[in-house]
Amino acid sequence: MFQKSLLIIAVALSLSACAGSGAQSPNNDPFEPTNRFMFRVNVQLDNYILKPVAKGYLYVPSPVRRSVRNFLDNLASPVTLVNDILQLEGKRASTTALRLGINTTVGIFGLFDPAKRLGLEKHDEDFGQTMATWGVPEGPYLFTPVYGPSSPREFGGWIVGWGFDPMTYQDDWGLEDAIARYAIDGLDFRADNIDMLDEIERSSVDFYATVRSLYQQNRASEIVNGVTNIDDLPDIDDLDDF
Amino acid sequence: MRAIITAFALWAAMLTPAAAQEVDLAKAQAFVMSLADDAIAILSTETTRAGREEKFGKLLNERANMRRIARFTLGQFGRKISKDDFATFEKLLGEFIVKVYANRLGEYSDEKVMVGKAQAKKKNIIVSSRIEFANGRDPISIDWWLRLEKDGSMSLFDVRVLGVWMAQEQRDAFASVLKNNKGDMNALLDHLRKQISADKAAS
Repeated sequence: MFQKSLLIIAVALSLSACAGSGAQSPNNDPFEPTNRFMFRVNVQLDNYILKPVAKGYLYVPSPVRRSVRNFLDNLASPVTLVNDILQLEGKRASTTALRLGINTTVGIFGLFDPAKRLGLEKHDEDFGQTMATWGVPEGPYLFTPVYGPSSPREFGGWIVGWGFDPMTYQDDWGLEDAIARYAIDGLDFRADNIDMLDEIERSSVDFYATVRSLYQQNRASEIVNGVTNIDDLPDIDDLDDF
Repeated sequence: MRAIITAFALWAAMLTPAAAQEVDLAKAQAFVMSLADDAIAILSTETTRAGREEKFGKLLNERANMRRIARFTLGQFGRKISKDDFATFEKLLGEFIVKVYANRLGEYSDEKVMVGKAQAKKKNIIVSSRIEFANGRDPISIDWWLRLEKDGSMSLFDVRVLGVWMAQEQRDAFASVLKNNKGDMNALLDHLRKQISADKAAS
């Protein structure tokens, strides 16, 4: 299995490297016509399936939904931990390790989040972010139905993440379990953001371009762990001159 | 001799615009605190959408430099259009922003803003803050990008929520509309008018 993981890493890295060498538009979206088509497909899937189901999911009592979210977050902690370590983020790695230990035991298999009350706040890391910190190019913007906005680096990182996930190595953890886990994860996210996403759709002059901007900016921020560096701001001095 | 040269260099450095306009970080933090307090006060006391938008618009005009924001969100297209088109765009953008953000921020009315550290470079100032929710929801990080104006005052330029700069988001969307309409400014103006009137119809 370890060899298999290495193979997946190699494929993901080469995929990102190839993608990074191509010509790039200002928004890094050379496949925009195809992406827009996929986006429209996704909007329809969302309108007819995901959104109605997510609205139904909101009838589940809030404490139950909170526990489901906690459980899924705890399940994702080992992947975050491996990536904290690969990024040499010692402090964040120890936070993740402590959260995993406390929430799995005191928090009853992750259903509750007592670690948060101890000041150990959750953060996410994935192999896409790790590759970004290693300087692997992002590659072009890709939009796929169901999975949503991505890039070869992020998509490759997601696949590699399975190799870091202890659940992958459980004999009684099958493909159906993995699909159910991602489905519930997506459903919970969708339900949590129903009003906000509706508002963004309603108030966008170009919904596709807005989602692309939100994704690309948010992803860039996640890679630097949300830190805002004043040196990275675009130069706007010339805006005062014309 | 070396001491005289050093003293002269220091004196010369003090005369440079950057030094002359040294940024008062505490003032920047106070600016953000006051702006956040005023915005929350509007969101929590104004019960009607129209009232909320009117006061939010007034606040935006007072504290933000709308001309600079309009120029930024138009990007390179801003240099190619007539003064009249730009004036129309600036006016519509103001209305559009108020409608978008007065509603997007609607759910944050009873929460607390904690202002954090500030950093400055040339005329740019970034003030970090956190919105903390009473209902136990995860806090949200918000960065405020302020600009030092020529008269020494400060103005709001952009706000970053969950890693996303809002003016940048609008710039990307506007650029896409313009690109897909072969640079026709009227197409963007029509899009903005449609969004504003659709919003009026919904309210």
